[in-house]
Amino acid sequence: MPKITIDGKTAEVAKGTTVLEAAQQLGVYVPRYCYHPKLPISGNCRMCLVEVEKSPKLLTACSTEAADGMVVRTDTDKVKTARRDVLEYLLINHPLDCPICDQAGECGLQDYYMEYSRAKSRFPNEDKVRRQKRRALGPHLVLDNERCILCTRCVRFCSEVTKTSELEVMGRGDRSYIDLKEGKALDNGYTLNLADICPVGAWTSRDFRFKQRVWFLKKTPTVCLGCATGCLVEAHHNKNTIYRLSPRPNAETNTWLCDRGRMTYKSVSAGDRLVKGIVKNGLIELEPALREAAARLDEARDAAAVLGSPWLSVEDNSALALLARALKTENYSFDFSAEQGIKDGILINKDPAPNTAGARQVKAAAGGLSFSDFAKRAASGRIKLIVAEARAAAALKDELKAGGAALVVFAVNRGEVPEGAQTTLPYASYFETQGTFVNYQGFSRRTRPSVEPPEGVRPLWAMLTSLASYSGLSLGLNSGDDAIRGIKK
Amino acid sequence: MSFKITEEFRAKADKLRARYPRPDAALIPLLHELQREAGYVPEEGMDELARLLGLPYSRVKAVVTFYTMFDREPVGKYHLQLCRNISCHMAGAPDLLAHLKRALGIDEGETTKDGLFTLSTVECLGACGSAPVMQVNDGYFEKLDTAKLDALLDDLRHGRVVPGGR
Repeated sequence: MPKITIDGKTAEVAKGTTVLEAAQQLGVYVPRYCYHPKLPISGNCRMCLVEVEKSPKLLTACSTEAADGMVVRTDTDKVKTARRDVLEYLLINHPLDCPICDQAGECGLQDYYMEYSRAKSRFPNEDKVRRQKRRALGPHLVLDNERCILCTRCVRFCSEVTKTSELEVMGRGDRSYIDLKEGKALDNGYTLNLADICPVGAWTSRDFRFKQRVWFLKKTPTVCLGCATGCLVEAHHNKNTIYRLSPRPNAETNTWLCDRGRMTYKSVSAGDRLVKGIVKNGLIELEPALREAAARLDEARDAAAVLGSPWLSVEDNSALALLARALKTENYSFDFSAEQGIKDGILINKDPAPNTAGARQVKAAAGGLSFSDFAKRAASGRIKLIVAEARAAAALKDELKAGGAALVVFAVNRGEVPEGAQTTLPYASYFETQGTFVNYQGFSRRTRPSVEPPEGVRPLWAMLTSLASYSGLSLGLNSGDDAIRGIKK
Repeated sequence: MSFKITEEFRAKADKLRARYPRPDAALIPLLHELQREAGYVPEEGMDELARLLGLPYSRVKAVVTFYTMFDREPVGKYHLQLCRNISCHMAGAPDLLAHLKRALGIDEGETTKDGLFTLSTVECLGACGSAPVMQVNDGYFEKLDTAKLDALLDDLRHGRVVPGGR
């Protein structure tokens, strides 16, 4: 294994390790634009130039393989001058429109300029090469060719990750620009990753554009619930509003995040967000809605049923199991199955629900009917009332019609509520409360609240506790974790 | 304008492709062939070549836009490409350019109304020893002056000179 010394620190690194990666292992930061750990090496930006003993020229750390006995310096005057020069080149034609640029605050040019240059430009503003600004390319992105430094990260992402190869560098020299086929939209399902990996403000998100300065954003680590893949993400929020989701790269599941997953935060403040109850089709206050549902529950009693959901957390499914136990009914099911696995070779799962595996865990602890037996009982008319989560209940459409059971459902958005629901109750979304989800690989991951739920709206386990108490039952829950513990008793 | 690849073109393409270990290596020779056939590189031609070579369209367009010798618009029967680099410049190319503009009544990048001439300036043609130089289609015309230019334009108009290839 080659032994390499960087800025006086020596380490043995695996064969094939680049100087930049070796520096990273030794805790030496080498600035870079075009290098990205998950993309092929390009070596075009020249920002990572370092001095290597016995080499007459500076070498790009990203594309030089570490060799045995190599002595590298990243802190010499020669390197510092080179960095300053590279930045001067990159900034010759840069428009310096930071005040109206969304990237400001997380921009590679701003950061490195402050860190490595601080030189006054010797090139007059009027002579800058003008290119196309703010072109909407596809449903999610805006491209500003003037801000681009041609690092080609986006080109490589589209050819290597999505394998769609829409983008290329067109033209040559100072007339080069990034483009795709005229009249085509950039829409490969993963386009917003370009806004993330673009080190400057060339690619920006249409959704996030001009909504918030990045330095105001707080970041909460959480989990994407867009499908069974369960990518680790970060919710960026300020003043009780979420503005965007971005991936938390990890070795197990995801480096990137799909466009659909990124938009899942929108349900939190969507126009059809439920903050009150619905009885039949009319909105009513929460308390009367709970009483109405409790009255229905009292009527049905041992003909009542409880259905879990692959869209709910382990905690909330457990609370539903405890309700079934308190009702002393045997009509309950947490038996969900769906084909799992990545369907597009990147991130999107065959199973659209985030917690099929988690619901199965609840089944293992609390028992219950198989889904088909539950459906048969619903269709036969033996069940008079079903308490369920909206999307899970939607799967029983035909059985409900046949058996005539009334439906009490929990929903975050009105759009989820199946037709004919008797009472609908709101609950806190998983951007507002914590919940455990088990992804297709079996990893148990927890969402963390980024924002407060609307007034009066509580987590599903808490709403259920109120519903039960109005019906004279006690679930004994003070937290979601109590529910998980409860079903194991 | 719709463009369709002919059977002859396809046969030529197969032959060219067989010469190289990778299909993308045949791209530039095929673009030359395409331009010879269609007079320029049409959008549909780029689509067809991408399909033929199994390359992404963006790759084909990147190559076409990189090289100035590929025309993305139709050009006149005679494409006058005057060198504007240092040797030709010092040997009087700016005067020749002004003369051509006047004689043809067009600017750089334009085509005469009769469709005979398109005027462009290009980078070094590699014939500095006989500057100033102009390439017409695939042929070189060297050691030019305004009188020779007038004669050349006249000859071209009357078909007395057919610019040669390489």
